[in-house]
Amino acid sequence: MTKPKEDRSARFLRHLEPLQSALEAYARRSVHDPNSVEDVLQEAVGKAFRDFQLYAEGTNFRAWIFRYLNLEIYAGNRSFHRQRHEALEEPIAEDIWEQTIEAPLIERLLDHPERLLSHCDDALAKAIAELGPLERSVLLLRAIGQFKHREMSDILEVPMGTIMSALSRARARLRFTLAEYAQEHGLLGPQSLQNPK
Amino acid sequence: MNCDEVRQHWELYYDSEGDSEVYLQINEHLAACQGCAKWFFQQAQFEDGVTAKLAAAQPTAELWRRVLSETGAAQPVAARGWSFFSPFFALAASLVLIVGIWQFRAPSEPDHLFALTATLHERIFDGSQRVEFASASDEAVEGYLKQRVSFHVRCPPRKDAGFEVRGGGVCTIAGDSAAYVVGQVESKDVSIFILPAERLAKFDHEREVLSREAIHHCREGKYEMVLAKIDHNIVVVIGKGSPEQLERVVRAYGTYPDVRPAQVNDRPRAA
Repeated sequence: MTKPKEDRSARFLRHLEPLQSALEAYARRSVHDPNSVEDVLQEAVGKAFRDFQLYAEGTNFRAWIFRYLNLEIYAGNRSFHRQRHEALEEPIAEDIWEQTIEAPLIERLLDHPERLLSHCDDALAKAIAELGPLERSVLLLRAIGQFKHREMSDILEVPMGTIMSALSRARARLRFTLAEYAQEHGLLGPQSLQNPK
Repeated sequence: MNCDEVRQHWELYYDSEGDSEVYLQINEHLAACQGCAKWFFQQAQFEDGVTAKLAAAQPTAELWRRVLSETGAAQPVAARGWSFFSPFFALAASLVLIVGIWQFRAPSEPDHLFALTATLHERIFDGSQRVEFASASDEAVEGYLKQRVSFHVRCPPRKDAGFEVRGGGVCTIAGDSAAYVVGQVESKDVSIFILPAERLAKFDHEREVLSREAIHHCREGKYEMVLAKIDHNIVVVIGKGSPEQLERVVRAYGTYPDVRPAQVNDRPRAA
């Protein structure tokens, strides 16, 4: 005769296991104190397991558990900055990042992105860290969690329109930052003479 | 739509969000405008590269062992009585491994994705492989697949793309799980195989063609095939339909946004 607790653990692990790499990757890129990634994951998974009876089988477990993780990341980052007597990051004013996607620098980047992408791990990490908190969250949830706008809206508890504009800003800022990096390090392709239109 | 309008929507297109009518209009424009098709390809190529870098990670086994142990979610460790049997289990495991290796080395599987999916398509439609979940509802098939695979899958093509769904399921391609959807296009049997995009690393030929073309057409034996990368999936459509019909099916994959009510349960308690 199976024990109810074993069934619950087995069910929870069955849902959790395919998501471990995504949860860990998201935590590593979101947590400001790299030494607290494990603590954040432990708190999130622990609370999710405690609340597992609230989860309805067949519904969106991925979004459900990412919400727990996001809350713990926010709490952990707030605590980290409080201990260092720092203010939690302020969102960067939008007008700084009004770079259109047709900017020549970015065009050259897109012509030969492989040169940059094979040499940009540190630059990418820095560019992600420099995004505003909401922009960073939606970019990472989209890239790592593969979430749709509606799911991100539920996880982060912000309207879908805000999600869409934050994601768009995040992508534009990331491209501009990486294009600048590529230019500084000679990783851009030659200037194109053709107008793609 | 003109080029400027189309390019303004590229993010919604890339993310497969928004109105399906807009999506179809963009597809029509891209089919006719090489400049925009190249532009869209470049945007997607860059985003895919960044996404691959951000998502590339294997879970740290030791970290997760500690996390699950501390949270109480891990399965209880086997009691000491089991250690008596462990040599027997080791022997059994070795026998299974030997048999597995023998089976692996016996008839060798083709290593092209095209050949593998063509074989599966034939087995499904000659009855050798039963369709796991039979349904004429694209929403039901989508829901079934989302519960059965750990990677992201999108909605099957709808009827207005000419595709009449008949069911779906999970299969194995080159040792890994893949999703499949079966149906018909103008009474001709069509299969759609869906893999996570990172699996493309296993298939040199298909990876090479997709680095040059957003959508690739080919023929494998008696079947027409179309290969594309859509959202976070590699999608192979195979059947006896015309290349244009199959391309319409692949472009319609995942075009419908999730219109179901949010399915996230009770909100977790904040710290």
